[in-house]
Amino acid sequence: MNAPTVSRRQGLALGAVLFGLFVFAFVVDGGRGLIGDVTGVVSASYLASAFRLTVPIAFAAMGGIFAEKSGVINIGLEGLLIIGAFGAVASLWGLSATPIGPNVWLAFLFAVLASTFVALLFAIVCIEFKADQIIAGLAVWLIALGFAPFASIVIWNQTNSPSVGTFSPIEIPVLSALPNVGSLFSVTPPVLLLVLAVPFSWYLLNHTPFGMWIEASGEDPKSLDTAGISVRHVRYAGVLLSGIYCGIGGAGLALNTGQFVGSGDTMVDGRGWIGLTAYLIGNYNPVNAFLASFLFAGLDALQLELQQIAGYDVSSTLVGIIPYVAVLIVLTLVGRTRMPAEAGEHYESDE
Amino acid sequence: MSDWRERADASLDWLVDTSAVQRILVSLTSLAFAVLLGTVLVFVSGFVADCTDPFILLPGVGYGCYNPVEMYGTMFTGAFGSLTALGRTLQETTLLLFTGLSVAVAFRAGLFNIGTQGQLVLGALGAALTVLTLGERVPGNVLGALVVIPAGVVVGALVGGAWGAIPGVMKAYADAHEVITTIMLNFVATGIAFWAVQNHVGNLESDSVQTHAIPEIARLPASISGARFSIYALVGALAIAVAIYLLYTRTVLGYELRTSGIQETAAEYGGVNAKRNVVTSMTLSGALGGIAGAVYVMMVQYRWQAGIPALGFDGVAVSILASNNPLGVIPAALLFGGMKSGSVAVDLSLGVPNELVEVLRGLIILFIAMPEFFRALGKRAGYGAGGEAE
Repeated sequence: MNAPTVSRRQGLALGAVLFGLFVFAFVVDGGRGLIGDVTGVVSASYLASAFRLTVPIAFAAMGGIFAEKSGVINIGLEGLLIIGAFGAVASLWGLSATPIGPNVWLAFLFAVLASTFVALLFAIVCIEFKADQIIAGLAVWLIALGFAPFASIVIWNQTNSPSVGTFSPIEIPVLSALPNVGSLFSVTPPVLLLVLAVPFSWYLLNHTPFGMWIEASGEDPKSLDTAGISVRHVRYAGVLLSGIYCGIGGAGLALNTGQFVGSGDTMVDGRGWIGLTAYLIGNYNPVNAFLASFLFAGLDALQLELQQIAGYDVSSTLVGIIPYVAVLIVLTLVGRTRMPAEAGEHYESDE
Repeated sequence: MSDWRERADASLDWLVDTSAVQRILVSLTSLAFAVLLGTVLVFVSGFVADCTDPFILLPGVGYGCYNPVEMYGTMFTGAFGSLTALGRTLQETTLLLFTGLSVAVAFRAGLFNIGTQGQLVLGALGAALTVLTLGERVPGNVLGALVVIPAGVVVGALVGGAWGAIPGVMKAYADAHEVITTIMLNFVATGIAFWAVQNHVGNLESDSVQTHAIPEIARLPASISGARFSIYALVGALAIAVAIYLLYTRTVLGYELRTSGIQETAAEYGGVNAKRNVVTSMTLSGALGGIAGAVYVMMVQYRWQAGIPALGFDGVAVSILASNNPLGVIPAALLFGGMKSGSVAVDLSLGVPNELVEVLRGLIILFIAMPEFFRALGKRAGYGAGGEAE
């Protein structure tokens, strides 16, 4: 469609990140020897950890794409991730007191339902009550940011939950027994879901009638309406998908460590916003959004590995702001992103 | 073709078009609904929480710990019940006046500045470092204070203003939407400040990420014993509110700032440099956020310390509740200030987590964002079309 913009954007994103790395190499003491150590820590276990860190970011990003493509800008992704993360831990904790016991999958399901329910409320507010989507999305974030620690204190008397349990990794037969790269094939279920969700989302958006409706609902709702498809329903579907995706992402994050941390910006800690930057940089393409998410998560994992393995005194804070700086550079140099024409506009059917 | 800017304008229009009475009604109704939902949340949470003396037993459900009526009573006495309580409320109110005005200045010009928090964090750091440096070089008396305190405020304003100018420039000249850029810049600001204090300018001996305590002369004198509140800061904030009100209603510059953000093409046609005005609005907004940070350091915390409260986001709620009117910000800030200081008492004596205020903050913002909700409500109440907005 607008191929030159895409490649230019991606080039710039990459440039921005490399620039960030470059600056960062100077910040670290002994930055010159760093490059050697970076190559040293990039191993299969590093990649596996990068994949785990990608889960919340990439799911938020893909969810955001569905919502925005359908015409509803959902900047509440961060809030939905928080609900997903809190929902997973609270459900697992609650389940362990019942005869059912601490069933991780059931907790995962409840978390997705909770996030989807909040997304439904957001959709009603935006579609039925014609709320300003930006302000409503901001409200979703702020409500979740207040609610999760509030509920944590009510339940556990503190903002952080106790450890409740995690997903156990799935060993992929044969492959996980391979030397060196074996640890890549011992994956947690959320990572497996991510690997499946990326091509699925891409296929859904680009090769199915539903994907066409989503596209039309954001670009040209009038024609969609004329074709007899309800714009309202498609937009509901788009927002609900963002709720499902964020529920998976948030639950995946929390069930990775097995604990909910509600202090400060909560354990989600801006990952929803990074997801938003990832899909802007990826220009609303799920595969590109995933790659951007993986890049950001990879930097985060690299920083952790460098501190633990190579003993570097890397400022995790500075590494943490790289995605934000990258998207700022991209937004400035590329200008506005090519967002769906009618995103943010309320649609009135003439019927 | 529409982009986020046009959309943002359209969404602000309904607030601008409605009459003052309607806007006050919308604000009060939103507040009432938020409080109602908050009450339900508190009541329901009471059945999950553990406590020694529950106030209610619902058969089949269990014991409820939190009594919402008692809670609002405690919140009120906790906010206004004693001189010390009032002092704490006014302390919050003063800070919220600055952040609320910061957000309102931008919103008035059609710019969604969600970045007040970042402007505040960096302004606070700038002010803290300034008074720490200057404090050693001036006499430790009133004269020294008269040099150090204004210097802290000015540097806070400059740093905040410069940080606010960044998204302004990006918006005006690169067409990058300010909602995204300001939110991202919040994270960048917090990150930079944290890193600088942790590694370079802070108290490196300390285990927590913080600067040294600022000298006595840089601390705003407490006006009420037992509370870190200074009447000078409050008077300053009120004066700025009135000044901004006059700027927008009585001056050409104020008119130009408003039209430049809302109707860029029209403004340009009228010979106004709209791009420059967008930057000016964002700089002014950022400067107010920076002053909020300076006041926070010199009146409340006496140092820069990691984990600065989210006063910038409270400012969004205050401004929206005030329909972005600089004078309306005054009662809205008092209301929020009261809720915040009262919630501390609620937390201490009843055990209801004071994060409740953050939930209420979000709910208020959400309700005010829903024009159709109020129109439907108006119809229900029998007011015909329920307002002529849109």
